[in-house]
Amino acid sequence: MSALGVVGGIAQPVLIVAGSPLLVGVMRQVRARLEGRAGAGVRQPWRDLRKLLRKETITPRGTSEVFRIAPLLLVATSLVVAVVVPFVTTDSAIDPVADLFAVVALLALGAVALALAGLDTGTAFGGMGASREMTILALVEPTLLVAIFALSVRVGSTNLGAIVSSTLHDPARVLSPASLLAAVALIVVIVAETGRLPVDNPSTHLELTMVHEAMVLEYAGPDLALIELASAMRLSVFLGLLANLFLPWGIATAATPAALVVGVLALVVKVGLLGVVLAAGEVFLAKLRLFRVPELLAGSFLLALLAVAASYFLA
Amino acid sequence: MSETLYVQLLDLACGGLLLTAVLVLWRRELAVIIRVFAVQGAALAALVAVLATREGSAELWAVAVGVLVLRAGVLPHLLRRALAGAGEARRETRPLVNVAASLLAAAVLTLLAYAVSQPLVALSPSAATQAIPVGVTVVLIGFFVLVTRRRALSQLVGFLLMDNGITAVGFLTTAGVGLVVELGVSLDVLLAVLVLQILTSRMRETFGDTDLDELRELRD
Amino acid sequence: MNLAATGLACAVAIGVLTALAALVVPARSAVVGVGTVLSGAAAMLAGCAAMSGVSFVVALPALLPLSGMLFTLDALGGLFVAVTGAVAVAVGVYGISYTRAPDLRARGVQAVLPLFVVAMVLVPAAASAGAFLVCWELMALFSLLLVVAEHRRRPEVASAGRWYAVMTHLGFLSVLIGLMVFVARAGDDSFSALRDSARHLSPLVAGVVFVLALLGFASKAGIVPLHAWLPRAHPEAPSHVSALMSAAMVNLGVYGLVRVGFDLLGGGPVWWWLLVLVLGAVSAVYGILQAAMSTDLKRLLGQSTTENMGLVLVGVGAAGLFASSGNRTLAGLALVAALLHVVGHAAFKTLLFLAAGSVLHATGTRDLDELGGLRPVMPVTTAAFGLGALAASALPPGTAFVSEWLLLQALIHGLPASGVAAAVAMPVAVAAVALTAGLAVATFVKAFGVGFLAKPRSAAAAGAHESPVTMLAGMGIAAVACAVLALAPAVVLPGIEAAARVAGDPAVSGAVTLRLTGVTGALSPVLLGLALIVAVVALAGVVRVVATHRVRREARLWDCGGGPMSPRMEYTATSFAEPLQRVFDDVVQPELDVDVTHHEESRYLVRAVEYRRKVPDRIERRLYQPVLRFVATCGERGRVLATGSVHRYLGYGFYTVCGLLLLLAVTR
Repeated sequence: MSALGVVGGIAQPVLIVAGSPLLVGVMRQVRARLEGRAGAGVRQPWRDLRKLLRKETITPRGTSEVFRIAPLLLVATSLVVAVVVPFVTTDSAIDPVADLFAVVALLALGAVALALAGLDTGTAFGGMGASREMTILALVEPTLLVAIFALSVRVGSTNLGAIVSSTLHDPARVLSPASLLAAVALIVVIVAETGRLPVDNPSTHLELTMVHEAMVLEYAGPDLALIELASAMRLSVFLGLLANLFLPWGIATAATPAALVVGVLALVVKVGLLGVVLAAGEVFLAKLRLFRVPELLAGSFLLALLAVAASYFLA
Repeated sequence: MSETLYVQLLDLACGGLLLTAVLVLWRRELAVIIRVFAVQGAALAALVAVLATREGSAELWAVAVGVLVLRAGVLPHLLRRALAGAGEARRETRPLVNVAASLLAAAVLTLLAYAVSQPLVALSPSAATQAIPVGVTVVLIGFFVLVTRRRALSQLVGFLLMDNGITAVGFLTTAGVGLVVELGVSLDVLLAVLVLQILTSRMRETFGDTDLDELRELRD
Repeated sequence: MNLAATGLACAVAIGVLTALAALVVPARSAVVGVGTVLSGAAAMLAGCAAMSGVSFVVALPALLPLSGMLFTLDALGGLFVAVTGAVAVAVGVYGISYTRAPDLRARGVQAVLPLFVVAMVLVPAAASAGAFLVCWELMALFSLLLVVAEHRRRPEVASAGRWYAVMTHLGFLSVLIGLMVFVARAGDDSFSALRDSARHLSPLVAGVVFVLALLGFASKAGIVPLHAWLPRAHPEAPSHVSALMSAAMVNLGVYGLVRVGFDLLGGGPVWWWLLVLVLGAVSAVYGILQAAMSTDLKRLLGQSTTENMGLVLVGVGAAGLFASSGNRTLAGLALVAALLHVVGHAAFKTLLFLAAGSVLHATGTRDLDELGGLRPVMPVTTAAFGLGALAASALPPGTAFVSEWLLLQALIHGLPASGVAAAVAMPVAVAAVALTAGLAVATFVKAFGVGFLAKPRSAAAAGAHESPVTMLAGMGIAAVACAVLALAPAVVLPGIEAAARVAGDPAVSGAVTLRLTGVTGALSPVLLGLALIVAVVALAGVVRVVATHRVRREARLWDCGGGPMSPRMEYTATSFAEPLQRVFDDVVQPELDVDVTHHEESRYLVRAVEYRRKVPDRIERRLYQPVLRFVATCGERGRVLATGSVHRYLGYGFYTVCGLLLLLAVTR
């Protein structure tokens, strides 16, 4: 465990927790402006969280511990990922956990906790959301792992630190077909995993279209605050991962204050830009029918596989 | 041009070919398919141009320009005109193999293309020959489109995809088929497209549709 | 006599004595339970000793005429003996009160259980083809007797038993022929003689031996397309027997494959292992897809066994592929991943089947659509099944996560290592493993969420009660094993590495952090688990400090303001799987049936809608039905021979004997 890793392990979660609601605020603001509305301001998600934390915690009758622990587990998985993934520094605080498979599986664990909570309520909505979420998760997994395969085959490791540093040392690699195809595949996957358009609409409450929202209908007060925070954190974590896997420049390689400041700024700018692009793109998209989603994911799986193929076709 | 830059540009052009072939399979709107096909023409032209710069051959440059004009300009234009006359049928609504399955089939075809073109690559391993599987993949995907799509227009695109693939393989193996040969092939393709376009419009006049399944009726 | 020999002898002796005792003592359940535990513990000891390098050879020439029986224990055999013993310990404790049910108390059924364990322990210890085949057949017979234990009460058990009997014996036949061809070339049936003669075997003969052995062993491991018996027999057997079969017996299929493929035949050409890999990948995906659609809790677990054995075969196939291209480090890594998955699967499948048995015991139903709401009444069973589900779904910090991580590492590092076959196989294998992992998550969320959480969906589930303490203790043992394997796999890794020597070099090192040798890669399951726990505890503290209202208030479910909810409004296992079923419509081809009944007064008023979905096994229908039809036709034709005259039947025998003697006389 290096000094750089420790600093990163402290700075990253703080940055992600503080910044992710702001990212959501920025994205909502961009959407609002593009749709001709004034918008609620960038800090509105934080205000919502504060309001929710002051409310009473409600436990619906007939639910078990699963319902109560799920929000904590959901945030905890994102938090662990925020600590270990090289967002600001190339070294990781807990290097043996900073493995691409481990990180992906951790994020899936959070989704599973929420799906179980949805089933635990026993409502039709909860079950529906859980069922849809698990279907999407099951179909996303092959794409995700094959895309990871494409990225790690050349580095010879699935360690995130190793992948990021090797891209830093060999910038030309970013423009290779393998990494471009993998990037496109990963973007589709991330859109599906974070429940954005066109797979899921984060602002819908229409029963036919809900996925994520259907699972969390019974939550209120601080529990709901945790869930809102967690979905914001998952979004930033995924965007951060995307940014640093393909455009790692600016990340701190030494534990000097200047490098760290640059690292933080670079992450904020990269994730912010990706968020703005995503939000702007969403304005022009309609939600896909649930049973068209497999088609989207099959396409992205093909791209991931082509990325693997390209990494040895065009070696 | 330095070696690494050459390889990188070559690979990018090949990546473009691959990606556009996949998109043809993926999208349903015929207008989008035609646009993607135009992009593929441009990628093919770029591939030839990269090879031309590498060889320093004016002849290849001329071929590149020809490819660009024909495959990114003339052919898409003809297709678009056919589409404009097609009226209602602007989408490939019910392909014989559904889109998700055909995407997975394309994944299998890619691996197949890789496996079969290894002996070719082994003949003279170089950056260009190593990209041969890409060309073979495009041929196979084109054939797949030809087999599984219902609209005459998307079948036409499938046929053209095959031709693009064959051309790409040709350039990658020998770095220069020769201007005359390329010219001849291009004319052939142009002729085929014109004939098929006329056929399409006749079909529409006769059946009011371009769903090729209707041709079965001719047998009875 | 060393530790390994003593342990094995004790295991056999205790098992046989227990069986005898069960026939005479009145308190059978307790005696059999304790005897099985002791026998299992002795086997575990022997296995562990063998993995640490203690070995022995025993020749028992008197036991089997002509060839005799030869037993030994090396690291590979020791691993499987130890796993079988460990499963037997948990099952023995569980069985003490589980077998008090009338059908299971029968003398014969009780006596067979320890004998089944003994047979399973002896299979990996056999050192000659004769001994191996005898033990293999004994194991099949005893397990068959146990499967049909409840045939008086439930007619479907008999059908399951028939399927199992036929398929397991066809498998046995295949192994028998394969090994006999091999023995005929070697001239002696001891494994050491076979090993020596493998070098002189022609590729054709070696290929025939391997394929025949693969067929037999794959049918035991429930590999597609020879899996048809597994989702029938495993659910219909009593639950503790299901655990023994699913967690211990299927492993021996893998053992046989590794023993014959790597050890006796000494590896082979690429196509052997490519075949194994493809069979494994197909089984993994098909098995879990069937499980995802299943609404029968125990059937689902049985289908998940096919999936897990498929994953193991992917590892074994990859190991063979690497070994045949000369990369012993990667071969070792892939085989370690496969064997670790065998061990982990034994732990969590024991736990899951025992928990399912506890549910069956309490509610009398295995249908997930009728379960639910078990958490308040069966807290321990719910926790046990939850842990098992986490272990089975390859999520951290679960048991299968570590082995699947190792497997993926082997596949990823294998791509640049070997030729065209690997380049095509590896990405497909990764995709198959990933799809399997994703579907496994959905499957076990369904099993746990629908089966145990929410509200009871039937009166049977509402009236459930927690199981007796020995059943809980049995689950507890399996749960501890799961937790240890998930957090500290380093405990078992040295033994597994010793066993994996048959294919490659040791590949994983480290106690807290698993580090791969030869290739880069590191993972620390215990740090991962710790980080998660720390994060959850810290968060809970922060929320307590920040939130203004500290007390939780109970309230009625909001449900979007809907009226009081009835259990009929809940999502069931069928509805949970519906989106997946639609996505994989073309693959599984479910049979749907919707009946709408109208009111008598008006056609426009619907009185009831009935929806039925059946997901038939498509491979079974396509592959088995024609064979079954053909056999039935032959049977019909054959009726001409059976006239009912006893003299005629005896005459057939007489003519056949004479004919054979004549043939012998002529051909000599």
